[in-house]
Amino acid sequence: MKPDEIRSILATDCGSTTTKAILIEKQGDEYRLVTRGEAPTTVEAPFEDVTKGVLNAVKEVEELRGRTLLKGDTIISPQKGDSGVDIYISTSSAGGGLQMMVAGVVKAMSAESAERAALGAGAIVMDVMASNDGRMPHEKISRIRHLRPDMILLSGGVDGGTISHVVEMAELLRAANPKPRLGINYRLPVIYAGNKNAASEIEKNLEDVTDLSVVPNLRPVLEKENLGPARDKIHDLFMEHVMAQAPGYKQLMAMTHAPIMPTPGAVGSIIQVIARNEKISVVGVDIGGATTDVFSVFNDPDSQEPVFNRTVSANLGMSYSISNVLAEAKLENILRWVPFEINETDLRNRIGNKMIRPTTIPQSLEELKIEQAIAREALRLSFVQHKSFAVGLKGVQKERTISDTFDQSSTGETLVNMMDLDLLVGSGGVLSHAPRRHQSAKMMIDAFLPEGITQLAVDSIFMMPQLGVLASVHEKAATEVFNKDCLLRLGTCIAPVGNVKPGKDFVTVNLDLPNGEKFNRTVSYGEMILVETPYAPVEAEIIPVRGVDVGGGAGQAVKTKIYGGLVGIIIDARGRNPFILPKNPGERVEKLSAWSAAVKEFES
Amino acid sequence: MEKKGVILILIFLMALALPLRAGLTLNVTPDRDEPEGRKVILTAGEIEQAFRYDLFKKSVQDKDWIFVLGLTHLDKPVILDVENDTPVQFRIVAVDRNEETIEEVVSDPVVTQAMWFNTKRIVRFISMILVSGIILFYIRKARKMQSIYLRPIAGLKAFEEAVGRATEMGKSVLYVPGIMDLDQVETISGVIILGHVAKMTARYEASLNVPVSRSLVMEAAREIVNESYLSEGRPDLFNPDMVHYYTDDQFAFAAAVDGIMLREKPAAVFLQGKFYAESLILAETGNSIGAIQIAGTGSPSQIPFFVTACDYTLIGEEFFAASAYLGQDPKLLGSIKGQDIVKGAIMVTILVGVVFESLGFSFFKAIFNL
Repeated sequence: MKPDEIRSILATDCGSTTTKAILIEKQGDEYRLVTRGEAPTTVEAPFEDVTKGVLNAVKEVEELRGRTLLKGDTIISPQKGDSGVDIYISTSSAGGGLQMMVAGVVKAMSAESAERAALGAGAIVMDVMASNDGRMPHEKISRIRHLRPDMILLSGGVDGGTISHVVEMAELLRAANPKPRLGINYRLPVIYAGNKNAASEIEKNLEDVTDLSVVPNLRPVLEKENLGPARDKIHDLFMEHVMAQAPGYKQLMAMTHAPIMPTPGAVGSIIQVIARNEKISVVGVDIGGATTDVFSVFNDPDSQEPVFNRTVSANLGMSYSISNVLAEAKLENILRWVPFEINETDLRNRIGNKMIRPTTIPQSLEELKIEQAIAREALRLSFVQHKSFAVGLKGVQKERTISDTFDQSSTGETLVNMMDLDLLVGSGGVLSHAPRRHQSAKMMIDAFLPEGITQLAVDSIFMMPQLGVLASVHEKAATEVFNKDCLLRLGTCIAPVGNVKPGKDFVTVNLDLPNGEKFNRTVSYGEMILVETPYAPVEAEIIPVRGVDVGGGAGQAVKTKIYGGLVGIIIDARGRNPFILPKNPGERVEKLSAWSAAVKEFES
Repeated sequence: MEKKGVILILIFLMALALPLRAGLTLNVTPDRDEPEGRKVILTAGEIEQAFRYDLFKKSVQDKDWIFVLGLTHLDKPVILDVENDTPVQFRIVAVDRNEETIEEVVSDPVVTQAMWFNTKRIVRFISMILVSGIILFYIRKARKMQSIYLRPIAGLKAFEEAVGRATEMGKSVLYVPGIMDLDQVETISGVIILGHVAKMTARYEASLNVPVSRSLVMEAAREIVNESYLSEGRPDLFNPDMVHYYTDDQFAFAAAVDGIMLREKPAAVFLQGKFYAESLILAETGNSIGAIQIAGTGSPSQIPFFVTACDYTLIGEEFFAASAYLGQDPKLLGSIKGQDIVKGAIMVTILVGVVFESLGFSFFKAIFNL
């Protein structure tokens, strides 16, 4: 079917606990989300058939929309009159998603590229092995046997480069003789994406003990990364091996019109599509109960090509992993966001309770404030991890001139440049289901500390996974629904970078609001201001004081078009690089309360 | 009676007003401004008839007077060198045009001694205490595992990256510790850094090639590479031929190293040590084969060539500090931090001095004359 002929799309996302279904219909010339439904996932006993949950979710959509979508246990397709849908697609993270192990020669080079390929494909990377990771061979063998990943990605050596190191890794794999997590009768899928000259040796070593696939080198030369073939192979093997072993997935695969994608891979896919189509830099975050995923698309400063990165902070989440947030962030960092005096033991107990009762939600305003303080730190730490992973390629030659004498930049610098960031998208319970959107905006600003002018949005019902897989079939429909129904535009954050003395003038903001009013104000350092205006273009002139930057350079005024939203335009004059919170508890509480009131965080 | 008294007083006053008859006099005293001793100041009164004054000295060991020098005038004090703790006498003889002695005088014995405390060096003493104190403080701090921030140097961060590149490409690492002998501090620094690079190549299982131009450097480099491979638990990977001697001749050595580069095409080239005119020849060849090159030298004249032809260059102090950065030895890290603080303080002091002197205030400069 041609994309233009598609009238309706049904998409499901099979999560570990819930299966979510959305129905997208063509209304006039545009595609819009019309209904959503959900049902418990049925991959575990007693059902052990994922399609049961899918059908239940679709049934809910059917009832809510008042349209027939199912005929018995099958989805009617293509659409006939008012019945059925033209295409059905699905993503899945049930059963722990795709769990991979990657290996390379040098940890910071081919192993890092392999990790990027696996994470970009939506996998959870359980371990990264390399020749220089400091582990003895027997330790590596024991680790491989212990982990039992779904798949292994082996890389290393540029084309024509080292053979001995790669073969050594293959020998370790052979010695470990790893078994897959699902389906004991199957051999573990291994993808080799390393030095092409070593492929025959690798085949000799692994062909009889694993299900080996050889794809083009993901680092053919050190100056270039070629992750596409490895990522595609991961998706194929995910379908063929991992999904085929999970209960009911064979039937589900037969029902869908496009390959089932791992949920995080699909989210990454839609973020890449949006960044490419709108030519913007995007950061997306999905904070869950056990893990936090961060996605980003930034331009490489050398090639100016957009580079996609995804990281999974496996131990940072808001329920199962909440105690890890406390351990990693330290108590004082969480306490700095709590806008009232609280006993340390009390805070520890509350965090512990949330971990052992992960499904509870805050029952009082005080509990909500504590939960949001923890969320700020979880998001901040995940983003720190992301920044350290989203880096340029290492080990490449640099060209110098005499002007580099005292300023020699190194390779492997982070690609995340907050001043270049155009759109920050939040997702996950604590952000998407915050009682007020103002709280989501404030949490994202505090955690990510955007610089310059940045648009803020949240994914209302976490439909990015479905839209990601839809983008592979019908990109136009995916982007239309993403912009109109998926994203809740919260507004724009204006955050000048720099610091002056407290109370001094920091930035002057002149706005021509859509209702015809004008907003002209000089904001003092340390203030936060909210300008409530809907999602519509606003002509803005932003004039920072000397030495302060809003994107045009230090002290340079910026004239641009910005957008309001459900929250509005937030002028954050608290300074950046560094962002400093008062050390004194009384003063800190006073400041936090003032900022909170300024952006109407808890005001109903 | 009264008249007589008045006359006597007048005569007395006139006598006072008239110059005394100036006979030849000699006064010798130790120079109190000389903290080391060994100097005496000789002052003498002239006589009118004298054409020249001959000065002699005699210490307790001497039997006869020893002629020291002849002077035509004695209107200025004369400073003379003597032995400390040895009594010495001076004799001055005034002679006329006919070389006839008119008059002579002998001084009392004088003894000079070194002072216990040199007050002229108080500022230096205080500075020394401060400098040592600051360095010791930071060494102590580093030893207590307190984090010491040192400015990140791209060239040093790239060491591991360069070895990693060689590993991925299956090529060797070429290390040249300069062309001079071990009497040059840059060569010593180059050999120490070689130890760190050898540890990395042992860890990464990459091959290492170290051509040298001095036999002593070869021995030292071999020893340090061997030790590095042992410390990384990979003595099996060490081969003494990794470090090999070519020639002492500057350009013959450069030609030999260029030959290695063109034949073996190493993926990483380290040029760490003392270099002269061959620096650009080596760096350009390394660049042409596509290797990551990290140079380090204290020779200011070679730095521009290295900066333009190499990927990273360690300049002067960075090069000498490389060992501390790479080894993370608290003693060296603390000492570098301390030295940097002191250097900063000296720069500020010079700046303040320049400002005061430019404004015409000399008290600041005077402090340093103490």
